[in-house]
Amino acid sequence: MEDGAVRVAIVGGHPVIRGLVRLACDAVPGGVVVVEASSLAEALDIVPLSRADLLVVDLDLADGDGIEVVRQLGSRDGVEGEHHPRILVLSDREDGQTVLEALRLGATGYLGKAEGLRGLTAAVRAVANGDRVIPHALEADAHAELHRYARRSRERAVVERALTAREREVLALLTADMSLQQIARRISVSPRTVESHASSIYRKLGVRGRLQAVSRAAAIGLVDLTDGS
Amino acid sequence: MPRDAAPRNGRSPVRHRLGVVLVDPLPVVRAGLRLLIDDRPDLEVVADVGTAREALETVTRSRRSRLVILVGLALGGPQDAAWLVRTVRERHPGHAVVAVGANADASAVSRMLFVGADGYIDKNVDPVEFLSAVRAAALGQVPVATPSSVDPGAVAGSLDHRRALEVSLTEREREVLVVAAEGLTARQIAERLGVRERTVTTHLARIYGKLGVGNRFAAVRMAMRSGLVSAGVPE
Repeated sequence: MEDGAVRVAIVGGHPVIRGLVRLACDAVPGGVVVVEASSLAEALDIVPLSRADLLVVDLDLADGDGIEVVRQLGSRDGVEGEHHPRILVLSDREDGQTVLEALRLGATGYLGKAEGLRGLTAAVRAVANGDRVIPHALEADAHAELHRYARRSRERAVVERALTAREREVLALLTADMSLQQIARRISVSPRTVESHASSIYRKLGVRGRLQAVSRAAAIGLVDLTDGS
Repeated sequence: MPRDAAPRNGRSPVRHRLGVVLVDPLPVVRAGLRLLIDDRPDLEVVADVGTAREALETVTRSRRSRLVILVGLALGGPQDAAWLVRTVRERHPGHAVVAVGANADASAVSRMLFVGADGYIDKNVDPVEFLSAVRAAALGQVPVATPSSVDPGAVAGSLDHRRALEVSLTEREREVLVVAAEGLTARQIAERLGVRERTVTTHLARIYGKLGVGNRFAAVRMAMRSGLVSAGVPE
């Protein structure tokens, strides 16, 4: 933020929302909008390079979840020396899990869109200033979600510790749409070996079969089912 | 379950009162909480004790089906608050064990949640909110009542760190790190754990490597951020 300029990046699928955000940014002293992205793909492409000081991102993008932008640019605890923008998140979703996720990944503020983005200007100004802005009810929901997050963390740690590196590799492949033969070829072992690893994995996860294993692994956050990687 | 007493002096019978056990090393804290809780018609303090051992004895002896055990973060030593939470969860899963702190930070809150507390209540909240949280814990809702300065995102982030440490370090290495955080020399750590000094230095070297740090200070700082060790005196 040299010479008082606040570089702003706006990510939003809807031109009306982008327009409202642009207007709100006028209220930020020194604020200048440097990039606008209308899709997740575009955002991931141009926002990181923009070195924005303030990022306003709508999570509800047509081609994906805007949380990916937060994940890449947000200040996770402990990464010192890197430039992290202050982030205001806009979303239709007002559930504790989404709010907690956004905060965890480094969002400074969260505003639900249900009430017509009332308070947008104040929120943008506050976040630019580094103040946390979250409606009281949403913060309470995020708090309420904490114990579930804690339990998942604990269960995931137990499972991760119990699995060998090879088993973790096989588990990741089991979540993909691959047969055991394909997995065997991929990691250069016999199908018998894959079966043996799989049995060990199921036992350690406390499940009976592949489907349950994938489901349980996803539930505790050990694997991510959202895209086909 | 508490039984209904016969009506006396024309008043209505005693209804079910939720039983609360207070665990805190400071008698004044226990006295204060007892006053606050006993004043409510639906709550009653069934015991207040100063150590984890006494707490376990009380809980084991109790015939109540569900107690709420409030454990102060100030409980220190080898059988500290986290130890008591873990132990109650293992041995008496029917009861709710809730951590109580005073202006605790995100890593202290996350520490208690990670070991399985059925809630966290900070003494720096409104007394009405404090009592609501106690009742919510009895109902299995796992309340997290903190002053507004504690960011839930920071608590979640601290949980991530804790999980990473749990996964990358062996149990022995975690043990060594927890003791090392007390500022003891390698020899003193060795004495405490009953091993040779050489073993301790080997463990520490391995810990630094796994955590990607170069010295004990950095390792302990990581451990504190994750809530693996509590950062100093909680109150």
